[in-house]
Amino acid sequence: MSTDADTASTARAPFAPWDRRDLPGAFDVAETARRVGNYKWTEMKLFEALGGWVATVPELDVKMRLGTHCYHHAWHAELWHKRLPELREMKPERLTVPANDAMARFITAMTEPEGPELTIEKLVGVYRVLIPRFVAAYTYHMNNTSEITDAPTIRTLKFALQDEFDDWRDGELMLQSLITTPDQVRRASEHQSALEAIMVEAGGITGPGSIGGAE
Amino acid sequence: MRQFFPVDDLARDERFVQTNMAKRMADSRSAVGVKKSAKSRGASNRLTPDRHDASEAARSLMHGIMVGEIQALEGAGRTAHDFAAGDGSGDTIPFELKLDMARQAWDEARHVEISAKLSDWMGTELGQFSENTVLFEAACSNDPVLRLAGVNRALEGLAIDVFTQMKEFGQLAGDPFLEFCEDWMLADEVTHVKMGSDWLRKVTENDPDRRAKALEFQQVVDKLFSFGGARGDSDESPIGLARRFRELAGFTDDEVDTIAEMDHDALEERKAAVRLAQEAAGV
Repeated sequence: MSTDADTASTARAPFAPWDRRDLPGAFDVAETARRVGNYKWTEMKLFEALGGWVATVPELDVKMRLGTHCYHHAWHAELWHKRLPELREMKPERLTVPANDAMARFITAMTEPEGPELTIEKLVGVYRVLIPRFVAAYTYHMNNTSEITDAPTIRTLKFALQDEFDDWRDGELMLQSLITTPDQVRRASEHQSALEAIMVEAGGITGPGSIGGAE
Repeated sequence: MRQFFPVDDLARDERFVQTNMAKRMADSRSAVGVKKSAKSRGASNRLTPDRHDASEAARSLMHGIMVGEIQALEGAGRTAHDFAAGDGSGDTIPFELKLDMARQAWDEARHVEISAKLSDWMGTELGQFSENTVLFEAACSNDPVLRLAGVNRALEGLAIDVFTQMKEFGQLAGDPFLEFCEDWMLADEVTHVKMGSDWLRKVTENDPDRRAKALEFQQVVDKLFSFGGARGDSDESPIGLARRFRELAGFTDDEVDTIAEMDHDALEERKAAVRLAQEAAGV
């Protein structure tokens, strides 16, 4: 016995009314691979620094946070590493590079503090300069790439951004608890200014155009 | 930041008291000393709740676990940092090994959190017992393969034995909180030892001399951390050898037998040394 339900058409539009994703995107395959290579290089440098610093900070809670965040950024580096061959880069190491010389100098300057009395400087470099730049570059990329052709990159960006936001908040909390005197305020702001200047010269994690507008 | 970080520069707050292994072992509150009391069951010296010194010994061991986890966290972090990504030759390690070390850093950070809370639960204050930094020393080698052998296989292997013992202690003491936490940490440690076993084999696949040197180093660390036979198959050892979990972590039967023999020899050596000392003192 047939019913109305059996004979009703199942033909539907390929995109449901609530699905407003668009095809056009700001980046072609090569440009996406270049950016992803810069992300991977910077995430690597960040997780190496966090891992290295664990032994150098005396504050137990900070030590444990750095160890935890070290893995977050290693995971991001792994995700980007796996994305590169999907973007036609069969030798991921070729694109695992800093955006430019200034970016390499930024990492050198950020990782310079080592003494146990320099926890503020270590945290400022990561949580007030570099991670905000990750949030900016990842957000720009996510909002401007093709929502359909580059969906795998968007998925990774979303995972990474969630960690960046969480880690940024952790870092800011640690810094606010450590910065309690005018001298410490001065130290934090001077170090931030010095690093910001290099980052501005670099133009961001993927160089000029990290958040658009570079013509 | 320097490429390699010396053990003397490990950063600690003022509560920590660092010492060497001999002094740490000489602490009468230690869980691993060979001691028997009238209240002990038979000849067993296992760390069990019916030992007359069980509370203090368990606290001492838990504090030792916590500072050991701090050093394991520092060691894994340094290995993620100290070596560039490469093919594993010279001063490089494979990218994936760096990722594993970062993962281990996260795991060890959780272990510090867990053991800090357990120590608090057991009524211990941070710094109540001294810290022996020899674990980090094993993580200071310039050859990453030696770090894998010394830390991931020897020391994390010891952690498998210790956590198994502490889990059993929690079970016997009717402390499900302790048993639960130790079981979780045990799962992580098996993973870390397996990680070390797998990478050691992979990185030294075409370099038998390097592998032999690494395994030799592992034996040195294993013997050092046998604490004079305090860990071993014998009931005279406070901490048992967790054969099943070691097998899961990639140790062969022969390797576990070798460790057991070494533990036995270390125990006999220590007993002989104690006898000599007693004779010299006219006891």
